[in-house]
Amino acid sequence: MLERLLRLAIILGIFAVLYIAFWKVRSSSRNDADEPPPWRDSRVLVVAAQVAALGLIWSAADYLWANFRARTADIGLELDFGFLDQPSGISIADNPLNSNAAIREALIQGVKNTFLVIIIGIPLALILGTLIGIARLSTNWLLSKIATAYVEFFRNIPVLLVIVLTWTIFLNAFPPVRISWLPFGETFIFNNLRFGFPSIVGGTNFGTFQIIVALALIASAAVWVWRSRLFDRSGTPHHRVLYGLGTFVAISVAGFIALGGPFDITTPEIIDRVYVGGVTMIMPYAAVMLGLVLYTASHIAEIVRGSILSVAKGQVEAGNALALNSFQRYRFVILPQAFRVAFPPLINQFLNYTKNSSLAFAVGFAEITGVIQNLFGQSRPAPQLLLILMIVYLVFSLVLSAIGNLINKRLQIVGR
Amino acid sequence: MIRRGNALKRTAGVVMALGLVATACSSSSDGDADSNTGDSVATEDTAADTAADTDDVEVTQSSGGRLATVQAAGVLECGGNDTLPGFGIIDADGNFSGFDVDFCKVIAAAVLGDSEAVNVTPLVAAQRFPTLQSGEIDVLIRNTTWTASRDGAEQANFLQTTFFDGQGFMVRADSGIASIADASNTTICVLTGTTTLLNLNAVLGDRGIPFTALEFESNDELQPAFVAEQCEVWTSDASQLAAFAANLDVETSILPDIISKEPLGPVVADGDTEWAQVVNWAVMATIQAEEFGITSENIGSFADSEDSGIRRFLGLAIDDGDGNQVIAEVGLGLPTDFASNIISQVGNYGEIFERNLAPLSLSRGPNALWTDGGLMYVPPFR
Repeated sequence: MLERLLRLAIILGIFAVLYIAFWKVRSSSRNDADEPPPWRDSRVLVVAAQVAALGLIWSAADYLWANFRARTADIGLELDFGFLDQPSGISIADNPLNSNAAIREALIQGVKNTFLVIIIGIPLALILGTLIGIARLSTNWLLSKIATAYVEFFRNIPVLLVIVLTWTIFLNAFPPVRISWLPFGETFIFNNLRFGFPSIVGGTNFGTFQIIVALALIASAAVWVWRSRLFDRSGTPHHRVLYGLGTFVAISVAGFIALGGPFDITTPEIIDRVYVGGVTMIMPYAAVMLGLVLYTASHIAEIVRGSILSVAKGQVEAGNALALNSFQRYRFVILPQAFRVAFPPLINQFLNYTKNSSLAFAVGFAEITGVIQNLFGQSRPAPQLLLILMIVYLVFSLVLSAIGNLINKRLQIVGR
Repeated sequence: MIRRGNALKRTAGVVMALGLVATACSSSSDGDADSNTGDSVATEDTAADTAADTDDVEVTQSSGGRLATVQAAGVLECGGNDTLPGFGIIDADGNFSGFDVDFCKVIAAAVLGDSEAVNVTPLVAAQRFPTLQSGEIDVLIRNTTWTASRDGAEQANFLQTTFFDGQGFMVRADSGIASIADASNTTICVLTGTTTLLNLNAVLGDRGIPFTALEFESNDELQPAFVAEQCEVWTSDASQLAAFAANLDVETSILPDIISKEPLGPVVADGDTEWAQVVNWAVMATIQAEEFGITSENIGSFADSEDSGIRRFLGLAIDDGDGNQVIAEVGLGLPTDFASNIISQVGNYGEIFERNLAPLSLSRGPNALWTDGGLMYVPPFR
């Protein structure tokens, strides 16, 4: 208590010193005459107010921190990070993490799972949201009403509920493992625990083939640039997508045949409860991502709709006057302008998506919040873990905003 | 315009300055109150206010705060479960009931003389220790297993075990799994943040049985996952599995493998021995009462008991040999008749068990009295 009073006295002291200093500066700079006294001089008071506000915030924070330290000292809670090297004892579904691995390893796997939800989900939400936003403005009555119903439904229920809803639907719509659904001649597996998809497995010459594919990518990029330049110079239709894709496919297929089939396609199958071949995705991951995408897309749709409406009507009319069809009008006139308006609020939605991914642990998908919740229960110190959790989300959000701002800046320069 | 802006800033400045002075004043008066009322209950009145937490702590070290805090508040803050039939469950009207909840009532009856003066806070497994550490709850009775790391790293203080449990496995009756050796490559549902998960990883890891642990935060999601066969196996304390099995529509069987010792009991935060002893003896009184054969029904008939042990236990006067009637005081800080209050308001251990766990067809097993070959043994009340 005495210590805290002392700190307050110091703050008041700084306050007083600054106050006097400013008064001195003021009186030395001018001859007093009709100057107001310092307690009525706005130049002094403005600074005094800021120092006082800072002092208030500091003492409030100081008070709470002292409470926290007194409590932790009372129950003997250590506030260091040495526990990160202890074996975690926990496991993560469909993750090779050993349960005796250090806690920091478990945290890294949790961050990886969060990243997987974000990196796949955000593009999906953007595509779905854009389509629905455009559909809402469609002249097709049924389409626009369906889009409106979609937006009103998902925008108005809590996101946790959406996630539990998609999870419950997956849980009950797909059969249990022992009677898995195997569509398309058993090339896929669908059950309420995992989804299995075909994938490729490298054979002989697979390394060479990967190099050829990389070269094909470079070649198609070069073709793309060439067609674009040609178009800019002469106005010949560029067809750059067609040319680029054609180059890529041609080189890849030629490479595949020349190397005598460097990879095989494997299909997943379940032998004695073990999944062999293909790639599998655990159902809670799919459920969480679908829930988040559906929810976020409803917000993105509204942003897209609003920004399309913000494009001046004359632009659309100009497009019509050029005899553009409706796809061309959207592609070349409306969307480029609308996107510029939509981008800043879209970044916001991406950040919301990132933070909402923390709700995944409710349905058994262990992303970073789930892992940390788990560690809380395993005798691990909560204050440090919460701090780590906050830093993780802060970093994700800051990186996303930084990327977003970079893109935003480029859009503005290209534009006006 | 300019003058107006200045006026605004000036006013803001004055308000800020006043605020700062006010803060300083209230802080200093806090300090005064503290030094004047070293051990009084009056100080504890402010303890309900979170802002006064540290003051509370300072008093704790001098006079043992939690007991006084609870007595001043007139209500026991108890951390419990609201989703586990038999142990702690909430009904449609918001009332808690169950084995663990009854022990909250036991403590309230002992400390406050009123078994209903309990406020149960439902906690998920991962929340319970942070909540206990923060001092939000006075005692945690939430099917919590006593382990070394929890006593150590969680700053928890485990008391008399109220239920000796063990971790078991439940499968569907038609699954063809007869022991955990058959369960290789299965998916096992388990609650996150529990020792159950640690045991599962450790024991099945040691035995080389591969499996996928599907971790849920709450039984609200775990139970539908098991019913929908997302996981073939459900692992938890055997008593919990029995409790859930009684409420499921599907036929289940519990495997014979019990892979751990799970002593469950009340927990308090470290650093307050007086409060820990109060909770401990309140809980043990129920076991002693069963040993004496005292129930909530027949407690009245013990009023004129000749047995000095029973008289002492119930807080009845004892003849000191010179014809004086004295009431034994054990010095725990509890009323002398705390055991009578517990038994008449809640009942003895056997009654609590019968009321909550017998409907789940759980037998006493290791939870029988030591006189019946069980593990329920408590030190003498004298």
